[in-house]
Amino acid sequence: MTHLALTNVSKVFGDFTAVNNFNLDVQKGEFVSFLGPSGCGKTTTLRMIAGFEIPSMGKITIDGADITNKAPSQRNVGMVFQSYALFPNMTVAQNIGFGLRVRKEKESEIKERVAEMLAIINLEKKADSYPYQLSGGQMQRVALARALAIRPQVLLLDEPLSALDAKIRVSLRAEIRSIQQKLGITAIYVTHDQEEALSLSDRIVVMNMGEMEQVGTPFEIYNFPTTVFSANFVGTLNNASAEVVDPASGFISIDGVQFESAVDLTERKPGDKVRVAIRPERLSFASEQKKANVVDATIENITFLGSVVRIRVKIGSTKFNMDTFNNPFLELPKIGAVEQVTCSREAVLVLDE
Amino acid sequence: MAQTALNQKGLPPATDWKKWLGVSPFFLFAILFLILPSLRLVIGSFTNAEGQFTIANILQIFQEKNILDAYWLSIRISAATALGGGIFGFLLAYSVTVGGLPKPMRSALITFSGVASNFAGVPLAFAFIATLGRTGFVTALIKTLFGVNLYQQTDFDLYSFWGLSITYMYFQFPLMVLIMAPALDGLKREWREAAENLGASTTQYWLRVALPVLLPSILGSMILLFGNAFGAYATAYALTGGRLGIITIQIGAQIRGDVLHNPGLGYAMAMGMVVIMAISLTGYSWLQKRSERWLR
Repeated sequence: MTHLALTNVSKVFGDFTAVNNFNLDVQKGEFVSFLGPSGCGKTTTLRMIAGFEIPSMGKITIDGADITNKAPSQRNVGMVFQSYALFPNMTVAQNIGFGLRVRKEKESEIKERVAEMLAIINLEKKADSYPYQLSGGQMQRVALARALAIRPQVLLLDEPLSALDAKIRVSLRAEIRSIQQKLGITAIYVTHDQEEALSLSDRIVVMNMGEMEQVGTPFEIYNFPTTVFSANFVGTLNNASAEVVDPASGFISIDGVQFESAVDLTERKPGDKVRVAIRPERLSFASEQKKANVVDATIENITFLGSVVRIRVKIGSTKFNMDTFNNPFLELPKIGAVEQVTCSREAVLVLDE
Repeated sequence: MAQTALNQKGLPPATDWKKWLGVSPFFLFAILFLILPSLRLVIGSFTNAEGQFTIANILQIFQEKNILDAYWLSIRISAATALGGGIFGFLLAYSVTVGGLPKPMRSALITFSGVASNFAGVPLAFAFIATLGRTGFVTALIKTLFGVNLYQQTDFDLYSFWGLSITYMYFQFPLMVLIMAPALDGLKREWREAAENLGASTTQYWLRVALPVLLPSILGSMILLFGNAFGAYATAYALTGGRLGIITIQIGAQIRGDVLHNPGLGYAMAMGMVVIMAISLTGYSWLQKRSERWLR
């Protein structure tokens, strides 16, 4: 059964549509990320679930109960803010217990729950510290514990890691995912960081200009983007204008160089303009056995990116990036050399122009 | 390297005296307006009319009832105006910051507060006499519109404790607005949202989060208002003449010397004021530090 449902939800500010006709069903215990650039409507959608914004149209339900117009304090939805939003006049323990205290729960139960939360976030020793005595990562863990202490039906996280440095971000995101799975809580996570979304989520909603571009698992979103925006926003991508040559056999032409795609092109006609997308890691130097999609490429540039080496090649008049794993025995071609490059039929994605 | 050679010869590096040149206006100010006057007060307090050392002036403060009464009256007026001006100023600051008044109103109020908080002394006293005095404009207006003579039909008297307090409040509440507006701006929207999200009502948010966070600023500002009123002299003198014997008027009488000419006692009384002000400012500074720590 659907746990959280957003049905035809829109939000309009004056003459600006921040969110347009958003539809999403989230299952209990699912971790869903809203991924998109600034201003795409992801935070507005999250704030509508929290009750800080009221939808201009549509309905939001939790377990079938309509919460669209309920006050934030009446929703039982926990929220973790980007800026932590810890109360500076309270200790860590008081912050975590705040929600239970305003709900007038028994003091003994509050103490027990706070201790439980402190254990989950591994900050038992910081119970009596004030927020200004904590690091950014610790503050965000306290904010998470505070949001979870009230046993919310849904946990909302609004770019919770964006104020932290890279190393802490990686360790804390693993911690968030582990706590979410342990408690089996439904979570909605807003981020503009594709790596975060890909590594954390059961499903990702890619958003652009208030619209849902694509909804799918990280695997689907990365490997089978359905729109140019989705393909471009998630991961690095080579994309180029192309023309359908033979829809039945899946042949397309990029600037006169033919590629074969596994995508069903039967609904298109020869000469149709399309957009072709190929991930850099799907391109490789051709071995002698390779027969399909083997093309000549001129090596233009080679960049070391640590674990990956990025080679810029020119196929026809179109430039492509090609990624290959770095290793000490890697033999790299010379700049200006012409090499044969290949990719599988499945790697050639065909999208609407 | 040339710089190092000069240092080895014992000459100060050129940059050192340039650094001191930059801060010299501060030291000049501190010497002329803080250290020298304070020294003069301390020396004068322990000197008799013949120029000899004495502690009689200090002892006299605790022995003469009218001096202790003057301190007490000043403390009462300062406390009343700090409280009244503080509460009113806080409410005004609230209305233009988180209260939702239009932004132009905020600029207008802040500008007014900047001017009004410095409007004191003889002009302020005269303004109040001209409006709320026996023949003042507002007094006459109330009489004409409502048929009420403030001075005959009510207990109101501009030249009394409450009259002086109201006059002081005219420069007290704008000062509170100027101090509290930035503190109220420091309340983060996310705190309110987090509190609501956790189930708190507006009252619970204010009682448990906003007011405790603002309390050091509110108390600190009120202490500042207390000090501001405690040191006021010209307004009270111009408004009431000698009718209200607050401590600053008593000091003036001792030093200016018509009948009560005893400069030594005047200095000692002023030193008592400095002590009270120092305690107030220490409290202000402590509370301000606490609030800055929370609001940063």
